[in-house]
Amino acid sequence: MLTIKDLCASVEDKEIIRQLSLEVKPGEIHAIMGPNGAGKSTLGNVLSGRPGYEATSGTIDFKGLDLLDMDPEIRAREGLFLAFQYPVEIPGVSNMELLKAAVDARRSHTGQPELSAIDFMKMAREASKAVDLDQSFLKRGVNEGFSGGEKKRNEIMQMMLMEPSLCILDETDSGLDIDALQVVARGVNAMRSPDRSFIVVTHYQRLLDFIVPDYVHVLANGRIVKSGDKSLALELEAKGYSWLEDEVA
Amino acid sequence: MSEQVEQLIRKEYAAGFHTDIESETLPPGLNEDVIRFISAKKNEPEWMLEWRLKAYKIWLTMEEPEWAHVHYPEIDFQSISYFSAPKSYEDRPKSLDEVDPDLIETYNKLGIPLHEQEMLAGVAVDAVFDSVSVVTTYRAKLEEAGVIFCPISEAVHRFPDLVKKYLGSVVPQRDNYYSALNCAVFSDGSFVYIPKGVRCPMELSTYFRINEMNTGQFERTLIIADEGSHVSYLEGCTAPQRDENQLHAAVVELIALDNAEIKYSTVQNWYPGDENGKGGIYNFVTKRGICHTRAKISWTQVETGSAVTWKYPSCILKGDHSIGEFYSVALTNNHQQADTGTKMIHLGKNTKSTIISKGISAGKSQNAYRGLVRMGSSAAGARNYTQCDSLLIGDRCGAHTFPYIESAHPSAIVEHEATTSKVSDDQMFLCQQRGLDPEKAVSMIVNGFCREVFKQLPMEFAVEAGKLLEVSLEGSVG
Amino acid sequence: MAAEFQQQAIALAKQQSVLGWLTAAREQGQSAWQSHAWPTRKTEAWRYTSLLPVENEQWQLSDAASDALPQTALSELIEIDAYRLVFVNGQLNAELSSELPATLVSFADADADQQAVIQQHLNQVADQQTHLFTALSTSLLQQGVLLHLSKNQRLEKPVYVAHINDKANAKVTNARLLIVLESGAEAQVVEHFFSTDDQDRGWINAVTECSVGANASLRHHRINLESEQALHTGSVHVALAESARFNGFTLANGSRLKRIDYHIKHLGSGSDLQLNGIYLPRHKQRVDYHTCVEHVVPHCTTTEVFRGVIADSAKAVFNGRIHIHQDAQKTLAEMSNRNLLTSDQAQVNTKPELEIYADDVRCAHGATVSQLNDEALFYMTSRGISEAEARVMLSFGFVNELVEGVELEALKQWLRPRIAHMFGQTDQLTRHIIHE
Repeated sequence: MLTIKDLCASVEDKEIIRQLSLEVKPGEIHAIMGPNGAGKSTLGNVLSGRPGYEATSGTIDFKGLDLLDMDPEIRAREGLFLAFQYPVEIPGVSNMELLKAAVDARRSHTGQPELSAIDFMKMAREASKAVDLDQSFLKRGVNEGFSGGEKKRNEIMQMMLMEPSLCILDETDSGLDIDALQVVARGVNAMRSPDRSFIVVTHYQRLLDFIVPDYVHVLANGRIVKSGDKSLALELEAKGYSWLEDEVA
Repeated sequence: MSEQVEQLIRKEYAAGFHTDIESETLPPGLNEDVIRFISAKKNEPEWMLEWRLKAYKIWLTMEEPEWAHVHYPEIDFQSISYFSAPKSYEDRPKSLDEVDPDLIETYNKLGIPLHEQEMLAGVAVDAVFDSVSVVTTYRAKLEEAGVIFCPISEAVHRFPDLVKKYLGSVVPQRDNYYSALNCAVFSDGSFVYIPKGVRCPMELSTYFRINEMNTGQFERTLIIADEGSHVSYLEGCTAPQRDENQLHAAVVELIALDNAEIKYSTVQNWYPGDENGKGGIYNFVTKRGICHTRAKISWTQVETGSAVTWKYPSCILKGDHSIGEFYSVALTNNHQQADTGTKMIHLGKNTKSTIISKGISAGKSQNAYRGLVRMGSSAAGARNYTQCDSLLIGDRCGAHTFPYIESAHPSAIVEHEATTSKVSDDQMFLCQQRGLDPEKAVSMIVNGFCREVFKQLPMEFAVEAGKLLEVSLEGSVG
Repeated sequence: MAAEFQQQAIALAKQQSVLGWLTAAREQGQSAWQSHAWPTRKTEAWRYTSLLPVENEQWQLSDAASDALPQTALSELIEIDAYRLVFVNGQLNAELSSELPATLVSFADADADQQAVIQQHLNQVADQQTHLFTALSTSLLQQGVLLHLSKNQRLEKPVYVAHINDKANAKVTNARLLIVLESGAEAQVVEHFFSTDDQDRGWINAVTECSVGANASLRHHRINLESEQALHTGSVHVALAESARFNGFTLANGSRLKRIDYHIKHLGSGSDLQLNGIYLPRHKQRVDYHTCVEHVVPHCTTTEVFRGVIADSAKAVFNGRIHIHQDAQKTLAEMSNRNLLTSDQAQVNTKPELEIYADDVRCAHGATVSQLNDEALFYMTSRGISEAEARVMLSFGFVNELVEGVELEALKQWLRPRIAHMFGQTDQLTRHIIHE
């Protein structure tokens, strides 16, 4: 699904990711943890092609394609989805308009017929129900006036509708109370399938109680300093990150 | 409640005394000879006289501006005296001990005892009495740091290269009617030069006072902050209480070279005229600064005086990443009229400006904010934020907002917000219910309204500004 | 130069054939027109807009309608079930117009009572001493429309007045609409100006006067979509009596000269004004909106929202003034103007003004100028939407709220695709914003 080899990336000429390698196979869930400033969010941004985040060396292979060579929208149409840490508000553009345009773009890119407005509405309603958002949110401006939790659930709803093959959740759990967290996890778990992978970037082990990862990686100082299974997350929770940083130093 | 307010409003002008000092005053009138006289009196070099005469000729071709939201009878420029100096100027004091005791007394009445300031505040003061710079305290200490702070008449002799290079470079002679007049007849003012990398060791301060009858005051201030330097400059103004209107047409030019910072604060309390609108100063002032790369100019003004105010301290943000700020409190009462605001001209990339303007109108006064924010076609990434709030006290006054926003670059962001409200009964009631008398409540509410601006002022000025506001307002809730 | 043009206009007036009962009004108009000082760049109201396109032309009066009906005219008309009056080159076209109710009449067909109403109300709401081009309108007065509803009368259908120019020559057209609503009456009106010829170099000077009686309600829409070469000077004057309501919507593209003034007076307490406007100049177009809202009496409310998207090397001007007179206590007035510049050469000059002489009021205005939000653009492209389509969607989103606020459903549906096509010229770019 995704193969990152020796990736270096910088933001404003400052190197944030240093020689990072990671292999994600279809159906796997990888959790990426690490202290603040380790480069966790940078990774998601580089993968999705956010302007200003520049890969300076290394390669990223996504389903046999050279990811770094693709514009952000093409990456999305190929099935890469980033759930933002801080989803932006877009007053005036309704959620529904955005979603229909997004789903149409992905489907026509992959040679599927576009959905009729009626079918799409049906799907959207189901998705909003699945993340516990009232249908009125579909008509509102994108994230406009949404609470923090509503924004995160809105991201998951979009993820469901776009049916991506690789989902990157960038600190989707931050700022969520436990109920909202469960809603998010339920949405993610419902989407698990043998040909869909997840990269879950999080600061807290709590999320991983609900979304059980196959692998846990610790990111510090721009590289993966330790990998393991879900028990690593528990260890981190108990001991914090500093022991790892010391070990690396 | 309104009765109490009325009482508060009726508070008299505290600085309205007149000092009897023997002085030498030119008879009213303006012609080339007057300009030659002023120039000769100051023993000026030829180039300075030429410069004045050129300005005079330009002035003759210009017309008084009429666009401001103010009304006043036509000014007869031939009935004004263009030069007045305390006689003892001839043997100018070398130190404070030699200053005419009456003069010192004047400053004491104004609440700016020079000695005390010297001792306590460590403020270097250049006092301009009518048209002449009387004394500059603390000069020695400043000179140690390489800072030049002297009357501009002296700078013409001692630093002709700096004066020639910068005088009129920000406010050209033909900029506007009053600035042209000032160029022709300015008599004195302050000159400041901060050398490269120097942080001026103390606040610099000038007090202006118009004392003689029928005199105009045309001071000229020039501040040059060389690369990486920093200076904070304070200016205060008062005038005696007279039935006739007096003209004040000053020009202030600031030059902030790369990475320099100038903070310019004004507390203006010129005589506003009496409660029937008789007398008072016409305050027609041009203040402008230019910012080079990463430089910053910050204007802070508290305007409570003058019968008519026409004043727009401005910033030309020429250098990339330069910053302009304007913080203003303008209070008008009785028949005062103010048309004041700022201009932020963004030319450089990523330039930033902030405008916070608080207008308070009481009595029968008219108070207008007029501001221009211009994003030039080269001002990529420039930003402006403007907040203009007006507070109305009483139902016969006016509060107006005339912002001009001109944007010619898509990546420039301009945000302007304005509100107008009154001191509400609910607010008054709450304060009173917590045990405050109405005067205190009004002053608290007004002070709260102005807080964002006051906190920009140097400490001793902030206190003075707060007091001034209280005095100017006492009694104003309708 | 300028005064010369004032003389030219008077000469044109002399060539017109005139309805006799309008002669007196015309003469008053002509003297007002001549007493105006011709604006220069120093005239505050014309600071940002040049009248050179008016001055540099030898104008002629517009011709009678062409024999052949403009084929494209029908398809460009708004599909709305309405009482319709269509003017082609300034002349009423009976074929394109519908049956009219007795309350709606062209000046030429006005009966004696209606003539009296016109004479009584003309230039009562509009002040030709202060509005230059209103004086010109009266000077050239010939064609016009009266809508007069008596007490509590309510029209079944909206009124639709369309002005079409179909010729590529320098002709002046004078348009005039007088709306008189007696107390409790209700009406909806759509005014629509467009060219069928891209090269239309004509000039329409259009004045609308609305006298809205006590507790009466008027919904007024003004759609200005002329050719790029056309000139438009227009004004809408409204007087609101006690508890009257005016709900205005205006949309304009730009052209060589386009200047539209709204002047609204709250003359009766409890009146309410809602005014929404959209301007969308592109290419080298110019558009200039001046609005002035006067609160003369207490307890009135104003909400004014104008949004502009300025593309290419277009230039827009917005000058919004709210004037609260001394007796207008308890006024609530809010104005907002937001501008989006979508190109390096686009320019906007905005000037929201408050002039307040009463103390117990709550007024606010806000103005912003910015470009498309990079974050939002990236967000959308990260969802697979092309950048071009994202730009179109965001631009549309910027004005969408105001389009959604249009209550005439048929007009709203008509507007959406047309606005969308001003942002994106292909269906591919607009298909997600044009929907049912």
